[in-house]
Amino acid sequence: MRTRGAILLANIITGLTLGYTVSNIGFGDYTELNRMFTFQDLRMLLSFAGAVVIIICAFALLRVRRTPGRIHAGVIPGAVLFGTGWAISGGCPAIPIVQVASGYLPALITIVGVTVGIRLCRWANARYFHLDRGSCGL
Amino acid sequence: MSGYWPWWAGAAGLALITINYALTTDRSFGVSSAWDRVLHWRRERRLERMDEEFTDERALAEALAAATAEHFGTGPAAPTVPPVGYGTSQLLETDAEPSASEDTSVTSPGPAPLVTQAALLVSIFFGGLIAAVTSGRFHLRFDMGPGFRNVVTANPTTMTVLLFVGGVLVGFGTRLAGGCSSGHGLNGCGRLRLVSLVATAVFFGTAVAVSFLLWKVI
Repeated sequence: MRTRGAILLANIITGLTLGYTVSNIGFGDYTELNRMFTFQDLRMLLSFAGAVVIIICAFALLRVRRTPGRIHAGVIPGAVLFGTGWAISGGCPAIPIVQVASGYLPALITIVGVTVGIRLCRWANARYFHLDRGSCGL
Repeated sequence: MSGYWPWWAGAAGLALITINYALTTDRSFGVSSAWDRVLHWRRERRLERMDEEFTDERALAEALAAATAEHFGTGPAAPTVPPVGYGTSQLLETDAEPSASEDTSVTSPGPAPLVTQAALLVSIFFGGLIAAVTSGRFHLRFDMGPGFRNVVTANPTTMTVLLFVGGVLVGFGTRLAGGCSSGHGLNGCGRLRLVSLVATAVFFGTAVAVSFLLWKVI
C-alpha cells in the first residue's frame, strides 16, 4: 500500500482521526492545556506519554524502520521557541486547526502566526543560519 | 471537566494513529512539516517534477545499460549517479526521517507527495469539527475560553497580539527544531530518536515553565 492514492488515503484517515482524537482528548481547550502544563491534571500528559510508550513497544515488536537523527544547532533553540509559543497560544501546529473547528475563531490569528513563523524560518535559514537542510527539516 | 476522553483512551487513540500511518506508508507524519511544504507549494511542486524527471532518466539509463550488457554479454554496469531524489535533501520535512548522511543502511521512501500533506491538514479540520459537533462542544466564539481569559488575558487586543506572537514562535520554533509534538513527540520518540527525545523534553519543559509563569506570576 505505497501508491500515491494509498498515501493520500492514509493521510486523509490520519488527519480525520488525529483531529477527532486530539479534540476529544482536550488539546484544543486552553484550560485543559494549562492544567496539563502546570500538573494540576495529569490526564492529557498521561495520554501523550502513554501513547509514546505504546508506540515504542509496537515499533519494536513490528520492527518498524528505525530512523536515527542528529542533534543540530537548531534543535534546542527551536524547541524553546516552540514550547514558549505553545504555552502562550495553546497551539502546536495541528491544534489551532482543531480550535477553529471547535468554534474558537481567534485561533485563526494563531494560524496566521504559524504560517508567518514557518515562512520566516525558511527565509532566516537561507539567509543567516545555513543549517543543514537534511538534518533540520527546513 | 467535561466529557473529554480518559487518559488511556487518548493514549490508545494517538498510538493507533501513529502506528497505522507508519505501517501503511512506511513514513512518519509531521504536522509542522506538512504546513511547511504546503506553504511553499510552488517550490515543492518544482522539486517533485524534478524528482519525477530524474527517476525517468535513471530508468532510461539503466535500461540502456542492461541492453548494452545483454548485447555484448557483460554484466550491467552500476549506475554512475547515486539514486538520490530530492527527498533525501529534505528528509526531515517528514519530521522523523534521517538524512542520507545519518543513516545509509536504510532506504527512505522520501517525503509524501505534496497533495497528501494538504489533505492531512484539511482532514484535521474536519476530524476536529466532527468531534466538536458530535460531543456538543461546538460553539462559535470570539474568545479563547475561560482558561485563556483567566490565565493569560481578557483584553481582546492583547489576546490578538499574543495569539499572533505565539503562533509565530510555534511556526518558527517547530521548523527550526525539525518537528513538533507529532513529528518529534509521537513519531520520533516512538522510534527512540535521540534528537526527538531531546527536542520533546525541551519543548515540554519550556511549555511547563512558561505555563507556571503565566499561572503564578503574570
